[in-house]
Amino acid sequence: MDATTVIAVISCAIVFCGWLVLPHSATTVKPLVVSEERVPVSVSA
Amino acid sequence: MKIDSGDTAWVLASAALVMLMTPALGFFYGGLVRRKNVLSTIMHSFFILCLISVQWVLWGYSLAFGPDKFHLIGGLEWIGLNNVGFTPNADYAPTIPHQAYMVFQMMFAVITPALISGAFAERQRFKAFVLFSLLWATFVYDPIAHWVWGAGGWLHNLGALDFAGGTVVHISSGVSALVAALVLGRRLGFGKEKSEPHDATMTILGACLLWFGWFGFNAGSAVTAGTLATSAFVVTNTATAMAALTWMTVSWYHKRQPSVLGAAAGAVAGLVAITPASGFVNVMGAIVIGFGAGVVCYLAIQLRERIHVDDALDVWAVHGIGGTWGALATGLFATVAINSGAANGLFYGNPKQVLIQLVAIGAAWGWSAVGTFAILKFVNLFVPLRVQEDEELLGLDISQHGEPAYAL
Repeated sequence: MDATTVIAVISCAIVFCGWLVLPHSATTVKPLVVSEERVPVSVSA
Repeated sequence: MKIDSGDTAWVLASAALVMLMTPALGFFYGGLVRRKNVLSTIMHSFFILCLISVQWVLWGYSLAFGPDKFHLIGGLEWIGLNNVGFTPNADYAPTIPHQAYMVFQMMFAVITPALISGAFAERQRFKAFVLFSLLWATFVYDPIAHWVWGAGGWLHNLGALDFAGGTVVHISSGVSALVAALVLGRRLGFGKEKSEPHDATMTILGACLLWFGWFGFNAGSAVTAGTLATSAFVVTNTATAMAALTWMTVSWYHKRQPSVLGAAAGAVAGLVAITPASGFVNVMGAIVIGFGAGVVCYLAIQLRERIHVDDALDVWAVHGIGGTWGALATGLFATVAINSGAANGLFYGNPKQVLIQLVAIGAAWGWSAVGTFAILKFVNLFVPLRVQEDEELLGLDISQHGEPAYAL
């Protein structure tokens, strides 16, 4: 293996192994609550 | 010289692919701005497609690729495509009609100033944009294209490697974007109120179309339909995918979420970075270049945010820094096993190539920065660069074009 290949393998390893330690679920985000029905919009000219 | 029908077909098809990239850029940028500015942002790309198409046949191609003058600029002998006919030109593409090569190069000249428009989105006066784009294409793009690609250009003679435009297209536009952002100043409310992308799906679609068109950009730059085009195609796809994966992973670690827009931005960063190297590196080199692009371009955005520069759509971080990384990486990973007509890079026993690449990078940064600053100041003498405050608040779609993007 030449140096380029070694660096490429290390790069892939960093990214692929990185996924193992990343958080499963994101920070909690408040769900959007749609409280009102949408008003129909006229599109006629 | 005999015209090769396969090569000609590929270059013409590639020109069409690269043409698609400019409206694709409009969608990529258009999705990232607020809904009151989407039409004006798309118009920047569409208008430049028209403007530079005419500029290029009138004088742009002659300045960039015409007979060399002092190793700095092409002469005016080819103005209005005089002497640019269907006989192949041995210096540039000996197997296709000269006009096929000209129109392929035209599409590069078109997209480069369009890239800059992301920096001054949501605040530049359209009239100033028109004047700036025409002057920039003439006094910044055309000379740099001649230095690097023109027969007799000084960087070409020096041995600088730039297969498809890392220096000519991406460093020039990225650095100019940074200067433009500094000269125009920040948008109203910058840093105080959030400026969320109004349509992420539009941006993803734009990124996908850019990726598609980029096969013409890079593989078409072989100007033959053979092994070199195949290699460029493969490494382009590989580096792009790797950069998208890397950017997404870095942003996932940093922001705790795998960003969809981040993956798209990463793909574009990878496309940018592989551009100068695409005809010189193998697939392992492409993986490293993609990985590097995902990291350094992401970090460049963090730096840009920290110093409060309002490069609205991060043109400097993605194109300026991505192009710089790609140009440098070409000096590291280039190998004559891929392109026997080029040179080896540092990792294949030729450290001198890194120095040559650094000279090309420095020249492109310097000329782009100085030229852009001078042109903006010149345009400002005649037309204010920015819209007025009330026009900016109203949005550029209405204030500059009198048309809303959406009826709903």
